[in-house]
Amino acid sequence: MSEKREGEELSEAARLMRAASPYISAVWKMVGGAAVGVLGGYFLDNWLGTTPWLLVALSVVGISVGFYAFIREMSRLGKR
Amino acid sequence: MRESVRRLALALALFSGAAWASGAGSQHEVAEHTGHAGSEDNVAEYIFHHVGDDTAYEFELPGPLYTGHNPRLDLAVAFSFLRLETKPGACPSDLHADTHSFTALFQGCVDLRPTKHVLMMWFAGALLILAMLFGSHRNKAQLVPRGMIANLFELLVLFVRDELAIKNIGKEEGPRYVPYLLTAFFFILFMNVLGLFPWMATATGNLAVTAGLAFCTFVLTQVASIRAAGLLGYFKHLTGGVQVWLWPIMIPVEVLGLFTKPFALTVRLFANMLAGHIVIFFLLGLIFLLHPGMAAFSVPLAIGIYFLELFVALVQAYIFTMLSALFIGMGVAMGHHGEAHAAGH
Repeated sequence: MSEKREGEELSEAARLMRAASPYISAVWKMVGGAAVGVLGGYFLDNWLGTTPWLLVALSVVGISVGFYAFIREMSRLGKR
Repeated sequence: MRESVRRLALALALFSGAAWASGAGSQHEVAEHTGHAGSEDNVAEYIFHHVGDDTAYEFELPGPLYTGHNPRLDLAVAFSFLRLETKPGACPSDLHADTHSFTALFQGCVDLRPTKHVLMMWFAGALLILAMLFGSHRNKAQLVPRGMIANLFELLVLFVRDELAIKNIGKEEGPRYVPYLLTAFFFILFMNVLGLFPWMATATGNLAVTAGLAFCTFVLTQVASIRAAGLLGYFKHLTGGVQVWLWPIMIPVEVLGLFTKPFALTVRLFANMLAGHIVIFFLLGLIFLLHPGMAAFSVPLAIGIYFLELFVALVQAYIFTMLSALFIGMGVAMGHHGEAHAAGH
């Protein structure tokens, strides 16, 4: 109730963006987890010369962690 | 009626003069190369040379009147005193040698010489200061601003404060960020519009310039988040709300996520400003690539794009400021999420 009064002067776009921002960050957790896993694995492989094992391992880890964080965040947002 | 027609004709003559002046230079340069195979490459090379940054400032003179080499201000030589050495003999004796690199910096050659786009930024800044000093000159006896410049600036300033800052950031925190938003808005606007004048360059058509502007917004966004959520809440947000043993994966993800917004700001402004100029140049380039008669088609079209560019110059300044305010507002809202999380648990 107090929040509604607080953001009265905000434009529609700003209000929608603020409402959406936890969901945007949840989606980024899923996408970014995969990206960090794959890219991190690729560069570590090049650096340590262990092609392709770290790429495979870190991709799986990154994608799983991303999914886990996404689902965790979504279930928490859903409960609210 | 007759007066307005005369004014329109004058404006058209002026703008076609501008198009002619920038086109005539290419005629001169391309004329040296035409007749050989691959003049497409020359036109493209010429265009990208002209929208890119350079260490020399070239003044193009219209072809038929002037056939010699274009007068140029060699910034590498003119500002040679700004190339500093921390170790004696670290800089190469050749002033045109490329020292704009980290390798040169670590060897002890600090190259602070401006380039064409840096010069344009200085020029835009100086013009902005002058315009504001004269435009906002306030007579104590007469507090209501009079005059076209004062009223125009008042309109824009009030728009940025009431429509962008307050509506995107909020009543309490909004006014704090108005000075930055105004600075960004007018600086970008002046740089964009300056680039449309003959003999000028568009500093915002340079990735480094837009990245620098976006970096300022990025810093303020982080400051707003830290102010709203507290340092602890800010770092807690960076861990992504997962268990401690997953932090090594989630912290890089969240840190990477911080940079998506300034990256979008950087590329949006850069690409919009560069693309319009390239379109104008290539439309005029058609004259040299296909047939001189193409001028009847491409010059009016180029003038049309030029008017579009005038509009884009304003719109891009507005969009950069609006998105900056929106991102700062999202940072400000982070505090509320922190409270909501705390209440939810």
